[in-house]
Amino acid sequence: MKARILVVDDDEALAEMIGIVLRNDGFEPVFCADGGQALDVFRSSKPDLVLLDLMLPGVDGIEVCRQIRSESDVPIVMLTAKSDTSDVVRGLESGADDYVPKPFKPAELVARVRARLRPGDQKAPETLRIADVTIDVAGHTVSRGNERISLTPLEFDLLVALARKPWQVFTRELLLEQVWGYRHAADTRLVNVHVQRLRSKIERDPEAPEVVLTVRGVGYKAGS
Amino acid sequence: MPFRARIWKRRAVIVSLRVARLVRTGISRFFPALRYIVQSLHRRWRRSLQFRTVLTTLLLAVTSFAVVGAYLSNQIANNLFQERLTQAESETRYNVKQVQDTFDGAQVTDQSSVITLVYDTLNAVEGRGSVIQRRYVFEAMPQQTKPRNRWVESRASDQLTVSVIPPDLRKAVQESGKDQYWASTVIPVGTEDRPGIAVGNKVTFNGTVYELYLIYDLNTAQQTLDEIQSVLWAGGAVLVLMIGAIAWYVTRNVVSPVSHAAVVSEKLAAGQLQERMVVKGEDEVARLGASFNHMAASLQEQITQLATLSQMQQRFVSDVSHELRTPLTTVRMAAEVLFDARHDFDPINKRSAELLYNQVERFQSLLSDLLEISRFDAGVAMLDAEPEDILQVVAHVIEGAAPVAAEYGSEIILRAPSGGIVVEMDSRRIDRILRNLILNAVEHGEGKPVTITVAANQTAVGVAVRDHGIGMTPAEAARVFDRFWRADPARARTTGGSGLGLSIAMEDTKLHNGWLQAWGNKGSGANFRLTIPLRQGEEIDKSPVQLEPEDIVLPGVPEYRNILVPGPGPAPQPPEAGSPRREASPASKTSVHVPPKEPS
Repeated sequence: MKARILVVDDDEALAEMIGIVLRNDGFEPVFCADGGQALDVFRSSKPDLVLLDLMLPGVDGIEVCRQIRSESDVPIVMLTAKSDTSDVVRGLESGADDYVPKPFKPAELVARVRARLRPGDQKAPETLRIADVTIDVAGHTVSRGNERISLTPLEFDLLVALARKPWQVFTRELLLEQVWGYRHAADTRLVNVHVQRLRSKIERDPEAPEVVLTVRGVGYKAGS
Repeated sequence: MPFRARIWKRRAVIVSLRVARLVRTGISRFFPALRYIVQSLHRRWRRSLQFRTVLTTLLLAVTSFAVVGAYLSNQIANNLFQERLTQAESETRYNVKQVQDTFDGAQVTDQSSVITLVYDTLNAVEGRGSVIQRRYVFEAMPQQTKPRNRWVESRASDQLTVSVIPPDLRKAVQESGKDQYWASTVIPVGTEDRPGIAVGNKVTFNGTVYELYLIYDLNTAQQTLDEIQSVLWAGGAVLVLMIGAIAWYVTRNVVSPVSHAAVVSEKLAAGQLQERMVVKGEDEVARLGASFNHMAASLQEQITQLATLSQMQQRFVSDVSHELRTPLTTVRMAAEVLFDARHDFDPINKRSAELLYNQVERFQSLLSDLLEISRFDAGVAMLDAEPEDILQVVAHVIEGAAPVAAEYGSEIILRAPSGGIVVEMDSRRIDRILRNLILNAVEHGEGKPVTITVAANQTAVGVAVRDHGIGMTPAEAARVFDRFWRADPARARTTGGSGLGLSIAMEDTKLHNGWLQAWGNKGSGANFRLTIPLRQGEEIDKSPVQLEPEDIVLPGVPEYRNILVPGPGPAPQPPEAGSPRREASPASKTSVHVPPKEPS
């Protein structure tokens, strides 16, 4: 079955070009040129992934991202023309999983889309624990005691990656490779922002993390 | 008893030790406090104009009051004494005459009547009433023949003896004729000693010459003097305090606008541009305030204007960025689609697709470099510093540069201490700087090895990138960071650099408060050195690596590990997390040493 991808971009030429590239690689693109209608199109088309331009007429990309995130865990990849820290971080904080800075190569775009669409590879029944948090890998659920914690697939993957090897300190680069699927250098802010989002959901006190610990100068590791 | 003695000795030792300790702790307790007080006073003296002025005024006032007070009390004491002395002398003269007259007119009959007469006469000198006006000492002059009927040898008022009369006075009285002399003395009255004046003369009675001293109590004068002095003290103290208060008030009036101005200008300097001085009246202080405010206003205006300009610039850059990048993305994707399909085209179209593809790439890198530079110019580039291991960044960059190095036939050699060097840095920018330097070195290295040296000291970490290519002259080295500058304008650009790479590296370095320097020599290559502080906000005092290379010979310093990225060989495996490279360092030193393709 073809994965359906919603492309939210007001630039018709670019949207069309992205459509060509995606179709070429066996995806089924759906288009939306207006931020105000993005949510309706999202609801009606039920895409497997959203490609979202940050700068949109009407409602801007960050707001669209927030709206989609509030009702779905579907992967969101932002297209940004601005690579300024604040814009990227704002986009990521509003719920995007990854971003592709313009101008990008078709291969780069497709690689990012594929990385986010990785089939939920059949996971063996496995239960992991970090601190007082229990992770049911096959069931894709995380809980503390009886309380369920809702995570996006990306946050879930990040947590599982850390929990599988609690003895290991993960550098940001390693996490980018394992969780985001980057082969080469990428923006380590992705890791920082998502670790913060993850902490805000699973930590009792995000200021004093117990589940995801920072190892100064190196990276992150699972709490014990 | 030696035993008891020993015990006492020991007790003495213990007591003396305790006392010594007490003294020592006392000193160590009080000395810092004392020093603290002295230091804080000294600091106030240096830092507070008001404190200094008030203190000086007080000291001067105290000194002048001491001088004036001493003079006044001296004068008053003198006058009081003189007045009393004059009175005493005239009274003495009168009384002595009275006594002499009484004695002259007396009938000397028998002993008891004589004694009664003398005593009554003398007692009359003391004056009537309950208060004794003057006391007397009546003494027969020594060294004269003693007549038979001399029944009175000496007589004195209560508590007095002849010893209260100073010997000098007695001598003067004895040796003179009928002259009157005086001297100061001290007389016992009740339980206290009082100052007094003794005035002496001679009287003759019954053929015997007697010395008669009348002694006047100066107690009332002394009391008056004491009162005056205490009034002087009190008045002086009050005046000094008042002068201090006045000095404080006056200096506060003058100094407080100045210190207010200082506070306001500090706030202005800290960026609170709306801060102004309070202006009251039309005096000098008000003029100072007004002109200060005027200055602040024009500063604020200029700064706001600059900020607006910078904001406009920033928005412009951001807009241009977005507006250009979106179509460029489309063009680039289209070019790539065409490029991928070029094998189906005829030669003309195929070549066109290739040119399009390559030039779009170049255009894109030029555009992103330009935008990066303009971001620096607009002052919106932010340092996103975090403590990270710089060796990982270096390893990462070397890994990324390996394919290019392989293309040029250069090997990249890393000399670095084992163990990590954690530096507070924006790794994205450091990565970019190092990539630029290393690619530059490979590009100009003519296939000869490129050596990267990393070292750290207490304050800074240094990375030197050394190539052994054509090099450059010192003049060229000085211009190498200029925008769009090229050593040889005629030389073809092979890697499609924008000419902005080193300028951007320089800006990135400045953002870290670091140094980026170039050394070059025609024919013996070039060396670029990056030095950044270990912690942001600290100063670099010395770079840990040398800018001017001493060696032309390649590696081998024992305590350094060498990681050799083989020239034409396959790229090394991406590093595992943590640092397996470092753990394997002893092995790597002896292992791979692939000789460069061309003999150097």
